Amino acid sequence: MKIKIALAQINPLLGDLDKNREKHIEWIEKAIESKADLIVFPELSLTGYSLKDLSMEVAMKYEDEFLAPIYALGKKIDIALGFVEIGEDKNIYNSALFIENGEAKNVYRKIYLPTHGMFQELRFMGRGNKIDTFKTKIGRVSTVICRDLFHPSLLFLSYMQGTDFVLAMSNMPLRGVAGEIPGIEKLVESSLYTYSNFFAEFIVFVNRVGFEDGLGFYGGSMVSSPFGEKIAFAGILDEKLTIAEIDTEEIYRRRQSFPLLREEDINIIKNNLDRIVRGKND
Amino acid sequence: MINLNLNYKLVKEFIVRFIKEEIQSNGFKKGVIGLSGGIDSALTAYLTVDALGNKNTKAILMPYKTSSPESVEDAKLVVKNLKIPYELVDITPIVEPYFNKNQNMDKLRKGNFLARIRMGILFDKAKEFEALVVGTSNKSELMLGYGTWHGDMAASIYPIGDLYKTQIFELARYMNIPEKIIGKKPSADLWPGQTDEEELGARYAELDSVLSLYIDQRKTKEEILKLGYSKQLVDNVLHRIYITQFKRTFPPVAKFSPRTVGIDFLYPHDFKR
Repeated sequence: MKIKIALAQINPLLGDLDKNREKHIEWIEKAIESKADLIVFPELSLTGYSLKDLSMEVAMKYEDEFLAPIYALGKKIDIALGFVEIGEDKNIYNSALFIENGEAKNVYRKIYLPTHGMFQELRFMGRGNKIDTFKTKIGRVSTVICRDLFHPSLLFLSYMQGTDFVLAMSNMPLRGVAGEIPGIEKLVESSLYTYSNFFAEFIVFVNRVGFEDGLGFYGGSMVSSPFGEKIAFAGILDEKLTIAEIDTEEIYRRRQSFPLLREEDINIIKNNLDRIVRGKND
Repeated sequence: MINLNLNYKLVKEFIVRFIKEEIQSNGFKKGVIGLSGGIDSALTAYLTVDALGNKNTKAILMPYKTSSPESVEDAKLVVKNLKIPYELVDITPIVEPYFNKNQNMDKLRKGNFLARIRMGILFDKAKEFEALVVGTSNKSELMLGYGTWHGDMAASIYPIGDLYKTQIFELARYMNIPEKIIGKKPSADLWPGQTDEEELGARYAELDSVLSLYIDQRKTKEEILKLGYSKQLVDNVLHRIYITQFKRTFPPVAKFSPRTVGIDFLYPHDFKR
């Protein structure tokens, strides 16, 4: 199946829900014009990143009336966006909402919230605990959010559930400016190539651009193929809508020519994990 | 000395975008810069012009009677090269009455006073020009606390605040700033003959190496000494960092309410409503 995924490398305004919703609508409409099947926004695309005490003020339930115009557009294109979610438990989460056929298909809550150095996430938001996959028109999809991408365990768990596409929605600030390519870009790309290659899946990495309180997000949104190749790239630092053309048969071809998934044995993993959790080691 | 070389093309692009976006997200279009004739304010002016355009960048030259004539000439050279509007405000008649009444002021007090008067003028001119004050402090100065608190350190944004002085020289070369400005000895020019390196007691190449090892690479004092840096140099740098920490933090507030400024009233800077 040939599909198109739109990578929305945007610069959201910090804490300005109305303007960010406008921007989402505008970019979704452009993606519809480009005949994309899915548009993926970055982490916290509706709110901006450095929220701190604002987190509570921009939080909403995924079915909030505020999102109605976006749900309406979701009848023409699938949409993945980032927002601050008020859970049923009245905690707030850094979440990704996937809309299909104009309805909420999945809400993923970021599991690993960095809280060190320039990052303060756990101070303001709760953590998710579930990595699953869900069936969509383009195949089986999992979502991870920013730091989650650097935890191979999460990518492995989605792989074991038959994921075709991992959406990696991010707000990665630029750092490492000594070399030709920023250090953070190299780190992200090496992780994307490795995961997508060994797990024979597409990874759609969408990172924001723009500045907030001195942090400058680098962009560099891209798609890595099941063969570990960069098949679409948005460039760094500027807003850009990139349409990635994808042949989903590549997943099948890769999994047949390099049948790692067939070799996997979840029980070996489980037994070893159980043993490690019990603390039994020689 | 350690290699502090950077990808200056990328650094420039990043800082130019930073200036543009931080000025705009705070509701402004323009910036003012206190242009001394030194490399930091010259570099900041070049970057700001790239970000905001020459009509939106204004230079304020604020010499005092003891300022080196070369400083004003060099500042004017920057103004001319960048084709930016500027104002020259001689601060001598503003500060002299106070100095005359306080005959016991040593050069440090006088220097701090000059820096704070310049700050007052710069912020006033910013208001007049509907602009933000673009700061010129670099990472070496900020880390060593080598600047006047609420003086030259006062600014709305710090575009070059994460560049060590040795990196400032390189970025200035990359941006074709006149060699005359790059080549002269760094000085706050607060009194005749003052130079940074003499006052700080070491060359910037050495200071920056120790700063980078300690701050960015998180090496311990012992590890830095083992690399061959002198005890005097390392002690000097670390001492300066710690005695000047107050310049880099919000002052402590006596907290007793549920939400206190500086402690747990934690809104981002770049937020408007």
